[in-house]
Amino acid sequence: MTLALPLAIPWLSALALVALDGRRRIVGYGAIGALAATLAATAALAVEVWRDGPLASVAGAWPTGVGITLRADALSVAFALLTVSVLLVSLVHEVLVGVESRLFPALVLFLTVGLTGLFLTGDIFNFYVFFEISMISAYVVTGYGGRARQLSAGFIFAVVNLLGSFIFLIGIAATYHVTGSLEMGIVADRIADVEPSTVILIAVSVFVAFGVKLGLFPFHFWLPVVYASVRPAVAAILSGALANIGTYGVLRFGADVFPRELELGASALLTLGAITILYGSLQAMSRRTAPEVIAYSSIGQVGYVLIALAIGGPVGYAAAVLYALVNAGNKVLLFLAASLRGWLVGAAFFVGVLSVAGIPPAAGFFGKLEVLRAAIAADSAVLVALVLLGGALSVVYLLQIYQHDHWRPETALAAASSPVALRALTVAVAVAVLALGLWPEPLLAASREAAAALGGGR
Amino acid sequence: MTLFLAAVVACLFGAGTFLVLKTDLLRVVVGILLISHAANLTLMASGLTRGKAPLYPLPEDEVSDPLVQAMTLTALVIGFAVTALLLGLAYRVYATHFSVDFDRLAEEEARREAELEREEVSV
Repeated sequence: MTLALPLAIPWLSALALVALDGRRRIVGYGAIGALAATLAATAALAVEVWRDGPLASVAGAWPTGVGITLRADALSVAFALLTVSVLLVSLVHEVLVGVESRLFPALVLFLTVGLTGLFLTGDIFNFYVFFEISMISAYVVTGYGGRARQLSAGFIFAVVNLLGSFIFLIGIAATYHVTGSLEMGIVADRIADVEPSTVILIAVSVFVAFGVKLGLFPFHFWLPVVYASVRPAVAAILSGALANIGTYGVLRFGADVFPRELELGASALLTLGAITILYGSLQAMSRRTAPEVIAYSSIGQVGYVLIALAIGGPVGYAAAVLYALVNAGNKVLLFLAASLRGWLVGAAFFVGVLSVAGIPPAAGFFGKLEVLRAAIAADSAVLVALVLLGGALSVVYLLQIYQHDHWRPETALAAASSPVALRALTVAVAVAVLALGLWPEPLLAASREAAAALGGGR
Repeated sequence: MTLFLAAVVACLFGAGTFLVLKTDLLRVVVGILLISHAANLTLMASGLTRGKAPLYPLPEDEVSDPLVQAMTLTALVIGFAVTALLLGLAYRVYATHFSVDFDRLAEEEARREAELEREEVSV
């Protein structure tokens, strides 16, 4: 029952809210309440999973192997918990700013259904269905605002990501063809007996699908346009919640379903990750507006996850999970803080800068530290240098923006301070990032558990 | 049969890719539609390893795997919804820009960017 609640609450409330006018305050608060309830249900599920180990149930009381499985392990609850919190913060932000479209609150709830469903499913085709539910809501949310730039950004986003989805669908068809099953556990067992030359093709198509979602280096071209032209809350949703599909997918399919192919392709992933880090950082340095810099920075940050994943083993997987979680938090903080003005907001933005660069006491320090440990475990001086260089570059490009927006008198003082409630929300996110940096035990434990669930401990 | 299906899927995917690379938004939508059908056909083909399609199975007939057909049906519905959404988006773009040509949209975008930059310099 606890397994179905994080899906049922947002789904039912989304259906109810679709009929109502989301521009009215009360509807917005209703959606916030529903999301808070979802967060509580997800947290209860997470506690149960961390205490008793993975949970699984088959929908509709079908026998195992016939029905569709819902499954929660340490990796999926960690991602679900983070994603729902990100969505909650973004929705609160947008409600405080004032919702402009009647469907927005309901769409965020549909997005929540898709995302929690995707994390909590144990069936590959079901994964695709939830993936599409969240993507379709995301296409509409991207066009939210209705201005010309947002509409064309929404169109580009939809077309590129649909291509990715269909390539993923072809990958699923191929997986079913060679294994005769759709359940992740069974697929992982049977795929070991299939010729590696066949499986590598499937693994590549799945990787391409998630690479498009993440904005990895050769698939990144759509990302800056979209992130820079949508509203701040939407940018926070896209980078902090939706991009988790990519990281979760790469981790789940790479480390759990295709571990042999992950090892075969490790050097390719390392190269892609390295190029992604350098390309993202250098492009970010050459941009001037805050959303564009943060967009390129989020391309670069994904590279670290990829590197940690390619290094593999318990250390590498734990680093990848931790970095993905921390990075999502950073991006939300930066996108929200960059849209506001006022001295406390400047401080919040600065916390985000520290966290992205990996400077203590922000949470990002532990993300970088774990990736660095993985790089040292891999015995590669080049990777260690790359991680440090990436951190240094991120200080440069983010401080440029900080200086431009908060120190130059004409931009800092000309803009009036933003409403108190908005600033308080952003400061709360910054405090959370700092608190996780000062007391990182729960985060570290969660990422280690998640890595163990991934078969990193096997 | 598999070879024939593979050839059809390849043609559909190729034609779809060709259309997606055009600058006209409607052609892009049609291209996505063709690619979605390439994916659906692949899904169907992945279960055609034994038996006949279970259109009207007699007790003695061996039927092919029905699960792929259920999956294809789901994928078709999703593809249909997505196409409707894309057409809606294309219409909204047309209603705001009076054009569905990407080159023209990009030109307009560039002009607006230049204006913004001029404003920033004058500040």
